[in-house]
Amino acid sequence: MTTIRRFCCNDLLRFASVNLDHLTETFNMSFYMTYLARWPHYFHVAEGPGNRIMGYIMGKVEGQGESWHGHVTAVTVAPEYRRQQLAKKLMNLLEDISDKIDKAYFVDLFVRASNTPAIKMYEKLGYVIYRRVLRYYSGEEDGLDMRKALSRDVEKKSIIPLKRPVTPDELEYD
Amino acid sequence: MYKLVGEERFLLWAVCSIQLQVLCGNGGEKLLLLAEGLLKKHVASHGLHEPEALIVYFSILEQQAKYGDALDILGGKLGSLLMIEVDKLRIQGKLLARAGDYAAAANVYQKILELCGDDWEAFLHYLGCLFEDESSWASETINSPINPPKYVECKLTHLTDEVFNSCVENASAFVQKLQAEASNDSLRNPCLAHLEIERRKCLFRKNNDDNLVEALLQYYSRFGHLACFTSDVEAFLQVLPPEKKMEFLDKLMKNSNSLSVVPTRALGQSITLLKTQELIGNMFNLSVAELEGSAVQMAELYCTSLPLSKDLDPQESMHGEELLSIVCNVLVQLFWRTRDLGYFIEAIMVLEFGLTIRRYTFQYKILLLHLYSYFGALPLAYERYKSLDVKNILMETVSHHILPQMLASPLWADLSNLLKDYLKFMDDHFRESADLTFLAYRHRNYSKVIEFVQFKERLQHSNQYLVARVEAPILQLKQGADNIEEEESILESLKCGADFIELSNEIGSKSLTFNEDFQSRPWWTPTTEKNYLLGPFEGISYCPKENLTKEREENVRGFIERKSLLPRMIYLSIQSASVLYKDNSEINDSLADPKISTELKALLERYAKMLGFSLNDAIDVVVGVSRGLKSYEVFGSDVIDWLNFAVFFNAWSLNSHDSGRQGGERTPGSWHVVNSLLKNYILGKLRSMGPLIQSPQGDLPILVKLVTEPLAWHGLVIQACVRTCLPSGKKKKKSGSTDQSISLLSNAVRDAIQSLCSVLEEVAKWSQDQIKSPEDNKIDLLVSSLKRNGGAGKVFNILETLASSPNETELGDRISQALRSWSPVDVGRKIVTGQCRVLSEFWRICESKIKSLKTLKQQIALV
Repeated sequence: MTTIRRFCCNDLLRFASVNLDHLTETFNMSFYMTYLARWPHYFHVAEGPGNRIMGYIMGKVEGQGESWHGHVTAVTVAPEYRRQQLAKKLMNLLEDISDKIDKAYFVDLFVRASNTPAIKMYEKLGYVIYRRVLRYYSGEEDGLDMRKALSRDVEKKSIIPLKRPVTPDELEYD
Repeated sequence: MYKLVGEERFLLWAVCSIQLQVLCGNGGEKLLLLAEGLLKKHVASHGLHEPEALIVYFSILEQQAKYGDALDILGGKLGSLLMIEVDKLRIQGKLLARAGDYAAAANVYQKILELCGDDWEAFLHYLGCLFEDESSWASETINSPINPPKYVECKLTHLTDEVFNSCVENASAFVQKLQAEASNDSLRNPCLAHLEIERRKCLFRKNNDDNLVEALLQYYSRFGHLACFTSDVEAFLQVLPPEKKMEFLDKLMKNSNSLSVVPTRALGQSITLLKTQELIGNMFNLSVAELEGSAVQMAELYCTSLPLSKDLDPQESMHGEELLSIVCNVLVQLFWRTRDLGYFIEAIMVLEFGLTIRRYTFQYKILLLHLYSYFGALPLAYERYKSLDVKNILMETVSHHILPQMLASPLWADLSNLLKDYLKFMDDHFRESADLTFLAYRHRNYSKVIEFVQFKERLQHSNQYLVARVEAPILQLKQGADNIEEEESILESLKCGADFIELSNEIGSKSLTFNEDFQSRPWWTPTTEKNYLLGPFEGISYCPKENLTKEREENVRGFIERKSLLPRMIYLSIQSASVLYKDNSEINDSLADPKISTELKALLERYAKMLGFSLNDAIDVVVGVSRGLKSYEVFGSDVIDWLNFAVFFNAWSLNSHDSGRQGGERTPGSWHVVNSLLKNYILGKLRSMGPLIQSPQGDLPILVKLVTEPLAWHGLVIQACVRTCLPSGKKKKKSGSTDQSISLLSNAVRDAIQSLCSVLEEVAKWSQDQIKSPEDNKIDLLVSSLKRNGGAGKVFNILETLASSPNETELGDRISQALRSWSPVDVGRKIVTGQCRVLSEFWRICESKIKSLKTLKQQIALV
């Protein structure tokens, strides 16, 4: 029982129960609002009965040529709505938009190398570890760049894992 | 630009501007007509290329109730700009419903539900269309509550029995079809849809309670193991009368014998039973023994369920985590009922135990934050608050957990950071907002342009923001109050309080927004203004939770109106005390500025009016109380404001011609009023207060306020008087009447200094005695309250037993290690240290004031 709709500014005032979770980052306002201003169709919220926020996903589409891709910036679910496959639903929505509307080649995301539960979940959703990004998180922890190829990448070239890790300054996009 | 190049984006700039102008209340239909005309002309010549332009076009038409025109456009060529079918259907459904074509709209919502079977909002709209209920599409305004009530409003009275029945039949048939077609067994929507239909039947006929109870039981049998069960069913339970709610609970309890065979599911079901009891308010009907028994059972369940989380990553929520929150709720209720402090300490121990096992559980941290606040261990509360990592927009929605307590505390450095960070965040956003709005425009997301402007407005009207804007300078004034020069430079930076007077004038007509998220607050303090533990035990209406927004709005308005007068009144009081009063014959020679006296009098009149009195009557009240003719009780909960009033009244009397109405006793009379009011009230409070360690909360916050507000402002008046009395080399020789004035004033000031000093010395001694009392004794007192025979301690013992000999094979390495690190004595020590820090800060404030007064005493002795 979920209504998935586009995220709007007022949702920022209603997502405390989701963001108080220690793994969910609360970004500064210009970050959220830049996403809303530039990629509103990549920013969705799931609402339960009584207009409670169950979770949300924010992302963007960027790149050039065969690097044109959807990116998951954050996906999170409130503790009381976990273990109901909501994150999967939100991810599928973003993948669908990247695939069908923006005709992207792949979707990617970054995850802390220590966040085993999240890595396992992304793997279940079809993502593979494309490369390791050294000290990606505040110069301390490594990040994993995970990717899933979309229908436009017929040969699945975008997800062939890199053999060596990269540093944050080698990344094409933030 | 549009005329030059004819580009869509330039036209949309004009259209968005018009729309904003209309939304802000400037202009109306004509402007909208103009916007529509511009768009129409552009579409005819160039077409439209951006989906967002089309959305704006629809909203312009909607604002004019031209739903038919919008539907025509949606059905035409331009409609293809919307590439997601469901998005298009949602717009179509809404337009049809607003146009009153409910049958067609219902069909559209059916289509949406066929595409997205789990879309709850679509289902509610679908029902709204079937029942021809327009309230489903009521639009929001800027000050609509950010967390609307869970109860879905609906109007059914206009329907005949026959129409209602046929609608219900149609809806039920459709829901059954959805249920049959649902490929995914975990979809909750069809089941909740069934519940919603039964709820509406209850609202319409009033005799459908049994069916609703039955539907709720069915829902439990399918989804009772989910953590969201209680929040899912809350709105449905609300329509049941209390006896039916109990019947539902009884039936659920009987079910508890047939829990799932899957352990995690069975645990989920058990927790749901407990949460449902809480939701219905049944916990408040249980006896003390039953409550204790229930808490013990929950603690046992928590311990036996721990092995289920053995292999979980430490970052994942553990199974049964919620149990400790419920145990805490029960223990706090036991404390409320029995006033046995042991239960309160036990509640703290339970949560600290939970955090020892998994340090990330934010629900425990929030509960602890409130328990520590109540226990006077505010530094611990603040530490817990900081560990929640509340930043950016969360400061607007979550800081209510700590801000009110900090405002009444002596932890000025922490409070200052809290206010600074919050105000910086808000002001930064207001500054950036225009650029971000322009960014949305540049990326042709025109609907966001409107949204961003409205959002900024919502934040600008935030009640919390306005309170912080007033409290931040008042904190500065409190911090500088022991040094008049410092205070004057602070006042100068505040334009002598003039801007705040403006705020006070405006607040009555300003719309306020309430953006705080109160859902995570504990039951005993559902809003910032309410704390049940401060009063005697009573039943609580728990379902629905009270809606106190209206009450809050009045409180906040009154608070800001009153408090924002303070900086100006302090400024004027200093001014008033900085010149010598002379009688009428020499007024032309006086240094007094009559404007000061007039303005201060006007503000005193306003202040008195806010307290519900005329100026003269308010003066009578304070004089009456100071002479013991009236009790302090007449001040009610506004005691700080009354004492402030007395302080400012005295300052005004120093330089006013018409203040001598109190039996000709002018200056010494008003000095005496303030001195005795402060002395008697503060010392009275002090004598009634027990040691902090034995009496949570108590009157410490009010004591801190008394010393740091009215007493501090009175201290400033004294400082200004001393400065006036001191001989200054530059001034010409004083006349005889000036000498007399100085002599009168210096005598009054000497007495006032003596009076304040003696009060502060007693307060400082009270704090110091508690700080000095041996730490180990206090810790023993806390821990031993859990080890008495009978009463508190049973839950604690269960947790202690688990921690003393953890079964490593069952619990795994991580949990066992965590258990071994558990130390209740450390928790006790933290509480004691936390309380001591508050007392030390308070003592420091008192000492600084004593020191300043002693210097003044030496100075005035020279006069």
